[in-house]
Amino acid sequence: MKNKDRKVKRLLAGPYVIWAVGFIIIPLLMIFYYGLTDKEGYFTFINLAKITTPENLKSLGLALLLSLISTVICLILAYPLCMVLSNLKVNKSSFIVLIFILPMWMNFLLRTLAWQNLLERNGIINIVLGFFHLPALEIINTPYAIILGMVYDFLPFMVLPIYNVLSKIDKDLIAAARDLGANSVQTFLRIILPLSVPGIISGVTMVFVPALTTFVISDLLGGSKILLIGNVIEQEFKQGSNWNAGSGMSLVLMIFIIFSMALIAKYDKDGEGTAF
Amino acid sequence: MIKKTLQRFYLIFIIILLYAPIITLMALSFNSSKSRAKWGGFTTKWYVRLFQDDQIMNALYTTLEIALLSALIATLLGTAGAIGIHAFRRKYRTLMMGVTNIPMLNADIVTGISLMLLFIAFRFSLGFSTILVAHITFNIPYVILSVMPRLKQTNINTYEAALDLGASPLYAFFKVVFPDILPGVSSGFLLAFTMSLDDFVITHFTKGPGVDTLSTKIYSEVRKGIRPEIYALSTIMFLSVLLLLVLVNIAPDEKEDRRKILSAATVRRHKISRFLLRKVIPATIIAVVTVGGIFYSLKSDRTGGDNQVIVYNWGEYLDPEAIEIFEEETGINVVYEEFETNEIMYPKIQSGAIAYDVVCPSDYMIERMIKNDLLAEINYDNIPNIKNIGDVYMEQSRQFDPDNKYSVPYLWGTVGILYNKKLVDEPIDSWSVLWDEKYKDSILMQDSVRDAFGVALKYLGYSLNSTDLDELTAAQKLLIEQKPLVQAYVVDQVRDKMIGNEAAIGVIYSGEAIYTQLENPDLEYVIPKEGSNIWIDSLVIPKNAKHKENAEAFINFICRPEIAKMNFDYITYSIPNDAGRELIEEPALRNSKIAFPDAKELERCETFKFLGDENDAVYNEMWREVKSR
Repeated sequence: MKNKDRKVKRLLAGPYVIWAVGFIIIPLLMIFYYGLTDKEGYFTFINLAKITTPENLKSLGLALLLSLISTVICLILAYPLCMVLSNLKVNKSSFIVLIFILPMWMNFLLRTLAWQNLLERNGIINIVLGFFHLPALEIINTPYAIILGMVYDFLPFMVLPIYNVLSKIDKDLIAAARDLGANSVQTFLRIILPLSVPGIISGVTMVFVPALTTFVISDLLGGSKILLIGNVIEQEFKQGSNWNAGSGMSLVLMIFIIFSMALIAKYDKDGEGTAF
Repeated sequence: MIKKTLQRFYLIFIIILLYAPIITLMALSFNSSKSRAKWGGFTTKWYVRLFQDDQIMNALYTTLEIALLSALIATLLGTAGAIGIHAFRRKYRTLMMGVTNIPMLNADIVTGISLMLLFIAFRFSLGFSTILVAHITFNIPYVILSVMPRLKQTNINTYEAALDLGASPLYAFFKVVFPDILPGVSSGFLLAFTMSLDDFVITHFTKGPGVDTLSTKIYSEVRKGIRPEIYALSTIMFLSVLLLLVLVNIAPDEKEDRRKILSAATVRRHKISRFLLRKVIPATIIAVVTVGGIFYSLKSDRTGGDNQVIVYNWGEYLDPEAIEIFEEETGINVVYEEFETNEIMYPKIQSGAIAYDVVCPSDYMIERMIKNDLLAEINYDNIPNIKNIGDVYMEQSRQFDPDNKYSVPYLWGTVGILYNKKLVDEPIDSWSVLWDEKYKDSILMQDSVRDAFGVALKYLGYSLNSTDLDELTAAQKLLIEQKPLVQAYVVDQVRDKMIGNEAAIGVIYSGEAIYTQLENPDLEYVIPKEGSNIWIDSLVIPKNAKHKENAEAFINFICRPEIAKMNFDYITYSIPNDAGRELIEEPALRNSKIAFPDAKELERCETFKFLGDENDAVYNEMWREVKSR
């Protein structure tokens, strides 16, 4: 009975699997083809090896570092926020969650350009700070501005999944823990945090991955002085029109990300324990 | 109590962080200056112009339509997919989740180009439906990633209990599981909708001619500065969504009603207002958008007619009024599409995905297209107005089109130094100022390989088409030396940063220089004495053009003096049209040394040539070394 039920459920994935083969796997194979051949169409590893040049390694390292920092900041900002939101009345909270998504309905490029207006030396923030005789904020065209941009742009991706799992936690569980003598720290560490792991994992994925491959943010807020791996790939495709090298580098990046995903999935064992 | 206040402060802090840029954008929509770097006074004129602008309104509808449809389909496929995958054995589940992540983790441009290749390989004609497919593809992962955590949280026992109590699996699913995962589904839908609204790169590669979304419009405008109408539109969109949210939320709460003891009349009133605010109004809005979208797309479906010309031009590079005049005179429909850079245009032509009739590449790109046999010879008998184009420009064109067979000069300009007279005290006439320690952190350098190397090569006295490794190494060394002095490497933002007094010196195109001077009179433009780049953007006809005669009629029309002059007024880039130049009313502009420098100055300037893929790779590699320092 249960087995049959599982089989029926699996069938539900059918349309998506077909879609994924047609529009994810086949294009992916094309990237493999380009990444593993040269301009004349001969098989080569040169494109993959390009990642090992010192500049490319450095840009990969920097991208990893910046996106990691941004992911951590997003998590630190989003988690308490979601705790607060999930304790609000149900009706109101859906409204508030939307408030956090709404900024994203303004075009991404426009919002990032607006940050430029805010952060620049003669920008709005510095005018305000100057008015109060406070020291000027000089982070435009530095890695700090890039981190700010990443946190700003990807924060909603962290908020949504975490809020989703937190609001689902049974309040009776928390009450029970308190009744049994756990203090609030213990309740948080033993009950709330473990229960919210799946949400955290989704959030981390949705922030880390796009942050790692971004190039617009580093261009606009970093003054293009800081080269991230996304910029390198972008440059190969756009300025160099070298699809082979660009594909090769994307492949390396992809393998790299899949590897780190697998690592995360490994620690996610508890969260997946209750599959139905 | 303290906790409450702290919580409140925290919420407010995050909301300020999220909304600061939004408020900035809203403020910009009331800015009478076209540049976002300068406050020119309060105005509402952009709002008026917005509704007169068919192109933007059309793009808005296409955007909403695609976002709504793709989010809906992605939510359906994704939710079903998530439930299915969740029931997979662990191994397959991990595999499928890996596959799901691929569209998210690929750089957009990789996804975009690979999907374009797929569509071409399977002979899909690029258009609305291909954008839709692409959007669904990159939306699904967001749905799955939102639904998955919810599924993991669902308690299997309640579902089994329902089955044990005699519910059919379907009934049990909709009564037990579905309400549990619903928040995940709706946030997945929301994310999908949002991502679709925002996407540019993938849309660009998968769209056909004449189909535009807001994003593609915005990106194509970046080069010439974003039109404030866009800010106005964003403000309206934002406020209307906010209004909708507020409406839905002021509806009286059902649970509240149950708890309180209310008269039957109040309950009924609440019920009605709930029905109105939560169901009727949102449904009406969706209906209006859909109907409006269908209406607009029917109205603008001009690609079907045969008497047309498909034009592929730089963003904001032609006065829209000129197109209207052309259509009225000839009865030929103009399908107008824009690109952002030569390099993003090239693959679309090369792949033959769309048969454009008129394209406007730059010099070196024309040479590349000629070498790769992508261009058709133009029949000049159909373009009598070519007599208006100055001989100088036809002569210059020979550098990339040796026999003047393939191209008609459209706009041109030089690359030079723009400096702020208030921030620089000595007169500037040499590239050397870009290496002056005095201006540390006040220098804006061009962020494109050829332009950056061009500056360094010219400063050293070499050709900017040099392929000599020693010369290039010397130039690279110079650029590395310069990096600590550079405030930012930029392309389009030189304009706004210079207008806003952010930097003292910037490398810029002459056409932009005229515009910046209008906004900030302290700025001055000079072509350095070592010489510089002169560039020409010309109109060409691709080999696979389907309406060659219409294309020639269009080019002939553009070469008309009045039209050339009209275009100059609109974009302030130099026109090669001598007769058109005579028509410019303002003597200061007609005789502007920036727009029309003396022939003597131009002698020192070179156009870029296509150096071949290998040399391009060398340049790119060296530039990357500079950038990663």
